[in-house]
Amino acid sequence: MKDLADHLFDILENSVTAGATEVRIMLGLSSKRFFCKIKDNGRGIENEDVTDPFVTSRKERKVGLGLPLLKKTAENTNGFLRISRLEGNGTFMEFETDISHIDAKPFGDLAKVFVDALRSWPEVDFEVLIDREKGKNEQVLNTKEIRDTMDCSDIQHKEIQDFVYKSIDKELKKIGINTQFGKF
Amino acid sequence: MKNLEELKRIRDRVKKNLQMRSGKHKVRIVVCMATCGIAAGARQTMNTLADLIGKSNRDDIAITTSGCAGFCEQEPMIQIYIEDKEPVVYGKVDLKAAEEIFEKHILNGQIVERYLFSKGK
Repeated sequence: MKDLADHLFDILENSVTAGATEVRIMLGLSSKRFFCKIKDNGRGIENEDVTDPFVTSRKERKVGLGLPLLKKTAENTNGFLRISRLEGNGTFMEFETDISHIDAKPFGDLAKVFVDALRSWPEVDFEVLIDREKGKNEQVLNTKEIRDTMDCSDIQHKEIQDFVYKSIDKELKKIGINTQFGKF
Repeated sequence: MKNLEELKRIRDRVKKNLQMRSGKHKVRIVVCMATCGIAAGARQTMNTLADLIGKSNRDDIAITTSGCAGFCEQEPMIQIYIEDKEPVVYGKVDLKAAEEIFEKHILNGQIVERYLFSKGK
């Protein structure tokens, strides 16, 4: 994985593969620490260590590298990855990484991740929140609202996707998340 | 979302343009997007293809994603479904390959042997 954007898209893919119809993502940057919390209503994980590369639900191969790689990315910078099963169904996971650490990966294009998700899984509800100061959240994307106003085929249109991209990117930049590194 | 009103205006404009053409998708591009694909750069491949579709002004090409096909060493992989034709799978589709495949195969119906992984079902 080249950057955090790749990791994030990979986790969203996990949620969708687990049958999630609602995925809520919260992003924030607090004194050089980038954090991300994701909650979905998918099948949830079994009582096993999903950060073990030899634990996977896929049938094609016996290895699953998405979460082990993310864990490594986070821990390399004194961060962490935590995953827990929610009561009933669903998964909650969060990771944190120190973006000023010498081993930190660049953000990559985080806004694009959500446009990619919207394009790839138009039927899933993605809600993206950005953590402003003092726990104040701002919603920057709600794909359910988008879907309520237009057909799936309209979502595929470049002009729509560009607009969504720009509006998320603007908000991410405001808290210091740009396509390269954070603001130090 | 606070920009929803603006989004609606764009939708109306897009819809107006679309009404002049037929709406059905004739070409479907599927990009494999499991961990293996993403690590190999499938997101860049997908975004390049999406840009090319935008530039080509064709509204009958759709792009979607799938999971791991089991040939992780061939990633990024894409499958191309063109109406009334056999599906074609390409492997190791980097940005350059994506451009070539789009130009030759998708727009002109020529298979690009260099990146070909398999033909047919």
